[in-house]
Parts: sequence; C-alpha cells; structure tokens
Amino acid sequence: MPAHVTKKRNKYLTAGLIMTGTAVLLGILAFFWTPWSTTAMSASERFAAPSFRHLFGTDNFGRDIFSRVMKGMGTSVMISALVVLLSASVGIFLGALTGYFGGVLDEIVMRVTDAVNGFPSILLALVVISVLGTGRQNLILSLGIVFSPSYIRIVRSEYLRLRDADYIKRARLMGVGKGRILFVHILPNILPVFWVSVMIGLNNAILAESGMSYLGIGVQPPDASLGNMLSDAQGYLQTAPWYALAPGLAIVWIVLGFSLFSEGIRRLGE
Amino acid sequence: MIRIENLSVAFDGPEVVKNVSLEIGDGEILGVVGESGCGKSVTALTLMGLSPRTARVTSGRILYDDVTLLEAGKPRDEALYRRYQGARMSMVFQEPMTSLNPTQRVGRQVEETLRLHTKLTSQERKEKVLETFRAVGLKGEEIVYRSYPHQLSGGMRQRVMIAMAVILHPGLLVADEPTTALDVTVQNQIISLLGEINKKQKNAMLFITHDLNLARRLCSRVAVMKDGRIVETGETEQIFEHPVQEYTRQLIQAVPSRLKERKREKGPRENGRGYAAPVVKVQDLSVYYQEGSNSLFGRKKRRCVVKGADFELYAGESLGLVGESGCGKTTLSRAVLGMIRDIDGSVVHNTLRPQMIFQDPYGSLNPAKTVGWLLQEPLRARGAIDASLALSKEEMEEAAYDMLRRVGLEACYFHRRPSQLSGGQRQRISIAQALITNPGFIVADEPVSALDVTVQAQIMELLRNFQQEMKLACLFISHDINVVYKMCDRIMVMKDGRIIESGDTQEIFASPREEYTRQLLIGS
Repeated sequence: MPAHVTKKRNKYLTAGLIMTGTAVLLGILAFFWTPWSTTAMSASERFAAPSFRHLFGTDNFGRDIFSRVMKGMGTSVMISALVVLLSASVGIFLGALTGYFGGVLDEIVMRVTDAVNGFPSILLALVVISVLGTGRQNLILSLGIVFSPSYIRIVRSEYLRLRDADYIKRARLMGVGKGRILFVHILPNILPVFWVSVMIGLNNAILAESGMSYLGIGVQPPDASLGNMLSDAQGYLQTAPWYALAPGLAIVWIVLGFSLFSEGIRRLGE
Repeated sequence: MIRIENLSVAFDGPEVVKNVSLEIGDGEILGVVGESGCGKSVTALTLMGLSPRTARVTSGRILYDDVTLLEAGKPRDEALYRRYQGARMSMVFQEPMTSLNPTQRVGRQVEETLRLHTKLTSQERKEKVLETFRAVGLKGEEIVYRSYPHQLSGGMRQRVMIAMAVILHPGLLVADEPTTALDVTVQNQIISLLGEINKKQKNAMLFITHDLNLARRLCSRVAVMKDGRIVETGETEQIFEHPVQEYTRQLIQAVPSRLKERKREKGPRENGRGYAAPVVKVQDLSVYYQEGSNSLFGRKKRRCVVKGADFELYAGESLGLVGESGCGKTTLSRAVLGMIRDIDGSVVHNTLRPQMIFQDPYGSLNPAKTVGWLLQEPLRARGAIDASLALSKEEMEEAAYDMLRRVGLEACYFHRRPSQLSGGQRQRISIAQALITNPGFIVADEPVSALDVTVQAQIMELLRNFQQEMKLACLFISHDINVVYKMCDRIMVMKDGRIIESGDTQEIFASPREEYTRQLLIGS
C-alpha cells in the first residue's frame, strides 16, 4: 500500500477502536473483577440514585448497576463473538464449497438458506430455543443458525466471482490441490469483504442477543445481561429511570462503536 | 483550423500534459501516437472541453478558427463549449458499447444531436439520420435505426458512433483509439471510413492511437508524445522513414512488422521432424459448450465451438493461432490443456503439466500473494503431487530468485505484491511462474495484447529466448498478425471454429490460399 494512504487519518477507525476497546476491556475485566458483586442483594440500598458509591445507581434488589452493566457487556460481547465465529465458520466452509463447485450441493444449500431467510430471524431463533431449551450454548447455537445464511451467501458470491479468475485457472494448471486453491489461493482475496461483514454481523448479534435476553429466553437471571436488565428495568421507568438508561446506553455504545469500526475498516481497504 | 498553443494540464499532482502545441488544418488528419499514460487522451479531452473538473489548464490556450475556446487561468466557458460540442466539434471514443445508451434505440440517439442543434422537423431528422447511416456504410439503415445497441456488432456500433459524430459536418473530429476494441478486419474498414469522411467533409481530424501502423495508414502528419510532451512531429512518411528522436526510433522499431527482416535460424521443425515425437498431438478435436439454463432442471444445449481441429506441435516450435474474436481459438487452447472436458477426438501430451500465459497481466497473478510466494507455488504443487520432485525450502527460494533474474527483474521484487508492479513486470512474473517448472509446452493467449509497444517488444524477446533455451513448444494465440509473424514458425488460421488454413509462416504471408486469410493480412 502506498505510504500516503496509511498516513491519512481514519477517524472512523480511531473512534470505533476507542469505543469498542473500552466496552470489550470493561467486559473482559468484569469476568475477574467488578466494583461490587453483580449478584449480591442489599435491601437497604434499593433504587439508590447514581453517586460516587454506585456510579449508575442500584436496582430493585439493591445490586450495583455499573457492575451489572460491565458484566452484561462482557456476556453480550462474548456471546455475539461466539455466534459470529460459529456462523462465519459455517459461512466460509459452505460458501467456499458451494461457490467453487456449484452443482447439486449448491442447489441444496441455497434452498435451505432461502428457507431460513424466509422466517423473521428472531422468530426462528425462538423456535430453535423452544426445541433445544434455554441456556447459553443453545442461545449461541440458535443465533448461529439464524446468522449463517448471510455469510454463506457473501462467501459464495465471492468464490463464484473468483473461481474463474485467470490466476485460479493457472493454479489449477499447476496442479494445486482443490483444498489449497479454496483456502490458500482464494480465501485471502475475499477477506476484505469478509471482515466488513463480520463487523456488521457482530453488531446484529449483540442486538439479537439483547433482544433474546429481553424476551427472557437468552441469558437467565440472576446472571446479568444487557437485555434482561432492560426487561427488569421496564417496570421502574418512572421511579428509577437510571436503571433502564444504563444498559440502554451500553448497547448504543457498543453498536455504534462496532459500526464506526467496520466503516473504518472498509475505508482502510479502499 | 485548430490551434493548441503551449497547453499544459495538471491534475492534483504534476503536469500530465506539458507545453503541447499542435495545429490541425481543415481536411488534415493529425495522428497523436504514444504509449499509455503519455497524455494523449488528456490532450484530446481538454481540447473537447470534456476533461474532468479536477484537471487544471496551467498554461497555453486552444483556438478554433481564431475563437479562443480555452485559456489558462480562466474557467472553462461551458456555454461557449456547448455551442461547439456536437455541432462544430465531436468525438469518437474507443468503446462503442459504453458510449451508447443501452436503453434507447440508436436512431433516436443519433437524432438527439439534430434536435439540439438544428430546427429540422422530425421527418427531416429521420431522413438525415438514415442518409448518414448509409454514408457510414451501415446496411439496412431502417433496421439499424430501430435497433438497440446490444443488437448491433462492435463494428456496427462504432459506425453508429461515427454517424453521430459527423452528422452535422463538424469542423473538428477527434477519434480516440476508435478501433482498439474491434477485430482486425473491422478495424480496417473503420480506418478507411474515417479517411473517406475526412476527404468528403474536409474537417480537421485528430486521430489518437497507440498503434503506429494505423497512424501511418491514415494520417498525413504525426505527433509523437512521451511523458506529456510532444517529442517529435512531422509528415508521416518523414517520421517513419527518418525519425530524428531516439524515442521515436525505439517506438517504430518496437512495432512488429513483417516489412522488417526476420533474423532467425531454421525452425526446429525442419531439424527435428521425422525422429522426434510431437510434444502435443491433436487429432480431429471438436469442443462443445453447454449453453442455456443454469438451473437444476433446465435443459442444456450442447454447442460445437471447435470443429475437427488437427495439428501437431514439436519441441522448440511455436505455432501461431490467429482469428477474430469469437472464432474459437481460446476454446481450442483450453481444450488442448484439458480445461474443457467435453470434447471429441484426441489430445495427446508428451509433457506433464503444460502451462498458460494470459492476456490480462492484472488478472493472472493472485493479488493477495507476494512475487516470491507466487514463483514458488508451482514447485510446491509439483512436490505435493510427486514427492520425488519435492524441493526443500531453500532450494525453492533459490529457484524463485533465479527465475526472477532470468525474466529480467531484480531480487528486490521478491517481496513485492502484484499491485506494486507495472503491466510489463506482471507479465514477466506470469511467464516466470509458468516456466519455473520447465513445462515443455505452454499456451500463450494474447500475452502481449494488453501491453504498450515497447514493452510488447521486450516481452516477445523474452519469450523467444526462453523458447530457445528450454526447447519449449508454444501455442501462441493472437489477433495481431504482426505479432504472430514475429513469434511463430507456423500459423493456423481459424474461422467459425474451423482451422481453415495452416502452414509455414513465410508461406502463408507470401501466398495465402484462403480469401479470409488475405483479408486478415490486409487488415494489419
């Protein structure tokens, strides 16, 4: 890459990095240390307003909201990362095979993705959860299933485009093996497109995870998650508005951070 | 009369056109020749008032019959230009497909010029369009009038573009590489047509091309451009016979021409035939394409693209395959390499893994890899298939460096990526990659067509050297008959899927048997 491109300031990337960076770091930290316990209740401190003692105040059980938001961010980011990891891996594997080889496998996979895309994604995830039961693994699995088709399609169309590139024809003439063509020759060329869709996917996964937890079929209480905090806070909007505000702002913060970050990456690629 | 005085044009950075002065008299055709990026197109676009907004005229002016169209330091007078564009000056572009609106019938598009610049009634306009269509040699003008661009051939589209450009008898006609996208025989007709129009309409014509042969045939005067400057200008014959500047001489020498003496020892066929087995033997080969529906249940049609091809290729020999686009030459080569399986007849190879060199130097190298990785990949692949040929890491690296040197590139290119190389350098890497395993047989599909003439000459030289060193058999595909003449010992002429004529290069050029071959030869 020519020097002047890298020198150019990429404000999207900087802002995105700072925002996602703080969210992810706080989230990871929450697994080891939080200012207060996330589950310990205290009857004397119910609905305390934000103060230096409790940065975001406390909730209906007297738990520290800041600590719970930290833990919730960590849970949300971890679950979405696993969801994206799962669906992106499935996407790369199936997308590469279907795009490169075509044929009957392609037809079958495409029709299945059409079917999955035919349902509203949250509804489909609900169905999967109701079959498998609640719990983190099942949440990740169901969201992974719902998110896979878009990755399959993106990867497939890139492989379809590149499989007839001159340099791939040449690789075939050299006798390079099929697996190596798929994952060593073609894969690096689709990464710029792929990373952008991964970032967008992370965003959607965080929203979806929060939505599921809000509906009560994601992360189960007493574990903290941004979604189930929002759902609990709903009843106290009048009396303790900070209770809903804190997890809500946290979601906005993460999602905005990721979109700025992905826009920054996209511009970097240009 | 057009005068360009001291014109300099700059975009963001340095000037791309520097102090260019040109004069085109009425009825004169001035050719501007030069390699890509020399500033010839920018000059033409500036003259036409079509240069992008980011282009700044830093010095000089442009005069049209003593009217100043453009002057340095003043903004472009758009209103003035609008009156001139179309009516008094017009332009023919390289790509007739993108210059025409695909959603409108071509008759309507040509009429548009008349609607904007004249007060003719719609009946008169149609008459005039049909008359112009006849004048540019479009047969069945009524049908053409009602056609959409995609229903016409490339040559017909370019004729429509010319009709559009000359319908108002403009005093200036700029043609920017008008035949580059066309087949040789069509190219020939378009060049003649431009000459005729110039004689009839007596307009000043600026003909921009990278092809010196075309400039020589059409133009009365020629200006040679390099790095934004005019290095030499003069009468066409004067320039071609007695070039003064070193660069002009290089350019002329680089053009493959059969007028020049061929220095070559006897072809290997004369020596080797009889006892050596052919490297490739193709017998009665027909190639089919599946056409039509891509869906699961759709019925496919099987179309025969190559019919009954028969030929042999010996070590060290290069066999030229010429013909116009769509005649099946690329399909034939793919089938010979085994990339297309749906064939009748037989292809017998004596070599292990024949390689291929493609036309487009930008598409034939994996952009995600470094040059060094690319050069070692064929060796890795060979080692993976046959363990006895596997090399150690150091050996492969050494072989790659060695190959890099042999194609004339320095060791520092080893760690670069294709995007950091020029077209000529990429084609060198392509050749290195194809030849590093010493394949014995390669197919070169228009390997120099996308390159500038001087680079073209270097790459051809390189290929010939390798051929002699490695005793390489080469199937050389080209639409450029002069390139084939320079490269090949034997030639096959292909038309509509059949090989209609084949024989020694000299013989075919001296006395072609088929009328079609004769036309191809005249075309260049």
